[in-house]
Amino acid sequence: MERTERILDLVALLLDAREPISWAELREHFPSDYGGSDDAAERKFERDKAELVELGFPLTYVQGDDERRDGYIVDRDAYYLPEADLTKEELAVLYAAGSAALASGAFPGRDDLAHALRKIGFFAGESLPTPRVRMELGAVQEGEEKEVSARLEQLWDACASRKWVELTYASPKQPTTTQRKVDPYGLALRRGVWTLVGHCHLRGGLRTFHVHRVRELKVNTARPRTPDFQVPEDFTLDAHVAYFPWQHRFHEPMEVTLRLSGALASRAGSLLPGAMLEPAEEGVVRARMRVSFLDGLVRFCLALGPDCRVEGPESAQARLKDMATRILARHEDPQETVSA
Amino acid sequence: MSNVHERLRRLLFLVPYVSKHPGVTVEALAKALNISREDLLEELDLLTCVGRPPFNPDDYIDIYVDNDRVYVDLDQRLFAPPRLTPGEAAALAASAELLRPAAGDALQSALQKLERILPPSTRERYREMYRKIDASAEAPQALAPLTRAIIERLEVTFAYATPGRAPESRRVRPYELLSHRGQWYLQGFDHMRQDARLFRLDRMEDIAVTDTAFLPPPDARADVPNPARSRTEISVRVRFSPVAAPYVKERFGRDARPLADGGVEVLVAGDSERWLTQWVLSFGGEAQVMEPASARAAVARAARASVG
Repeated sequence: MERTERILDLVALLLDAREPISWAELREHFPSDYGGSDDAAERKFERDKAELVELGFPLTYVQGDDERRDGYIVDRDAYYLPEADLTKEELAVLYAAGSAALASGAFPGRDDLAHALRKIGFFAGESLPTPRVRMELGAVQEGEEKEVSARLEQLWDACASRKWVELTYASPKQPTTTQRKVDPYGLALRRGVWTLVGHCHLRGGLRTFHVHRVRELKVNTARPRTPDFQVPEDFTLDAHVAYFPWQHRFHEPMEVTLRLSGALASRAGSLLPGAMLEPAEEGVVRARMRVSFLDGLVRFCLALGPDCRVEGPESAQARLKDMATRILARHEDPQETVSA
Repeated sequence: MSNVHERLRRLLFLVPYVSKHPGVTVEALAKALNISREDLLEELDLLTCVGRPPFNPDDYIDIYVDNDRVYVDLDQRLFAPPRLTPGEAAALAASAELLRPAAGDALQSALQKLERILPPSTRERYREMYRKIDASAEAPQALAPLTRAIIERLEVTFAYATPGRAPESRRVRPYELLSHRGQWYLQGFDHMRQDARLFRLDRMEDIAVTDTAFLPPPDARADVPNPARSRTEISVRVRFSPVAAPYVKERFGRDARPLADGGVEVLVAGDSERWLTQWVLSFGGEAQVMEPASARAAVARAARASVG
C-alpha cells in the first residue's frame, strides 16, 4: 500500500476508534504494511507516527487499566480545527498580509502559509476577501526567484528543526565564494531583502547572510528529528539585522547629531526613525542618533541634500565633506570650474 | 518537506472542504488547493481507496465527480480540517508583520484568536517558531485605508506631494499595493491623468475613502519601478567603481554592463534630475555620471552645496 494511503487509513481508523488500538491490532489491520520482522514493522510504524504528529494529529499511547486496554488513541477534540470567530476585518488583514507574502514569490514557510490561509478561510464560506497587496523582493534577478524561494523553504525547515546548514556564500566584499557551516537562528526581511542570522562556525560568532547571495545550500540530514543546537534565550533577530544603512554593525556605536531644515524638518520622524528629535530654531529640527556605520549615514545625508547637515562630531562632518569633495571632483568639468 | 507530507496536508483539507461545499466545481476546488485539474483528479482517485479496517464498502471515503462537480457522501469523520500546526500558525503570524502597524487592532486581535485555537501542547512551539521569522516592514499607516478601499472597491482621494511642487488633490481607483525595496506604492487609475499611475505612499496626505464604487480590471498589475528599464527621452550613463559594482549588479542584473577595470556601467532614465542626483550622491563617490553634461553639472551642483 502507498504510504500516503496507509497514513490516511490510519487517520480514518483512529478518528473512528472508541477504544485504544493496540500495536498487535494495527499489525492485524495492515498485514502487508506492518508485516515482516518485528523490528522492521516497528520502524515503519514509528516513521508513520512521526508523520502524523507533524500533521498535528494528537496521537497518544495509553497504558491500560481495569477499565481500558493498552493502545493508541486520538483526542478528537484536539484534532478538528475549531472556528476562530475572526471578524470580517481580522480575516481581511490576515488575508492581505498572507497574500502579499505569497505573491512576493519568496517567503519562508510558503507552504505552511498557504495551508494556514486555507484553514482560516475554511469557515468563511464564499465571501473570502481577495486583496491585492504585493511585496516584491529587492536584489533578486529575473529567473532567480524560484531559487531564492526554494532556499528560503530549506532554511525555514532548518530553523524550525534546528539543524545546521552548509552554504556557499558570495559576499560582495570577497572576490571568491566561501564555504560556511551555520546554525540557523532565524530569517528577517528588511527592505525587500531576506537575511539569515545564525552562528557561523567558520567565524565563531553570530553572522548575517543575505539569502540571495547563498549559491548552494545543504541542510544536515543526519537524525532529522534531533536538534543540532540551541538558540540562546536572549536572541532576537531585530538586534542583528539593520533597517537603515547606519545601523549595520561595522564599528563601535557613536552618537551623531544632524540638523534638518526646510522641507526635511517636518519629515524628520519618518526619515530617521528611532532618532531623538528636538526643535532648534524656527523650522529646524535637531536629530541625535546612534550610528554603527558612519559611511552609511553620510551617504544617506548626501542624498537628502543641503537641508540635512551634520552638526557633530567633527569626524562625521569631515567624512561628509570628504565624500562630497570626491563626488564634486568626479563631476566638475574643467570649463565649468574656470567659469565658476 | 516531503511530498508525502504536502500531499497528506492537502488531502486532509480536501475532504472536509468538499463536505462543506457539496457540488463544488472541479475547477474551483483545484484553485482552492492551488493544484492543476489533472493533479486534483489524481488525488480524488487516491481518496476513493482510503478507508478504515476492515475495509467493508461503507468503510471507504465516498468521494466522486458528477457532471464536473465534486461530492462526498461518506467522509469517514473528515468533516473539518486539522488544526493549524505550529509552523502554519507561525508563518501566518510572521506574514502579518508585513502590515504592522498599519493593520492596527484587527491584526493584534486576529493573532490572539489564532493562538487560542492552537492546541495548548503546541503553543510554545508556535511562539518559538514565530520568533524565527521577522518580516516587520515598517508599513505606513496609509496601508490600512488603502487596503480597505481595494477590498471594497471604492475610490480614494488624497493630496499628493511631488518634490518641488505644491501638493495636488488626486482622485484614484485603487488597484494594487506594492512594496518594493522598502518603499510602498499604490497602483491605480488616476482621474486627473486619465491613466494608470504609481503613487508613493509616503507622499500621500489626507487619504479619504469615498463612497464611489468601481470595477477593477482583471489584470491590473503594477510594474516594479526600474530606472534602467524606463523609457525616457534622455538616458544618463552612470559608471560605478569596482567597490560598488557587486551591489549594482545585484540591483540591475544584465542591465549593468561590466567594464575592464571591474566596475560596471548602467543607463538610467534621465527624466528626474532630483532622483538622479540623490541616487548618485547616495553612492558617496563610487558612482560617476559620464553623460550628458547637464546631468554631470546637476550632480556637481548638489555635491558643491553639501561641501558647504
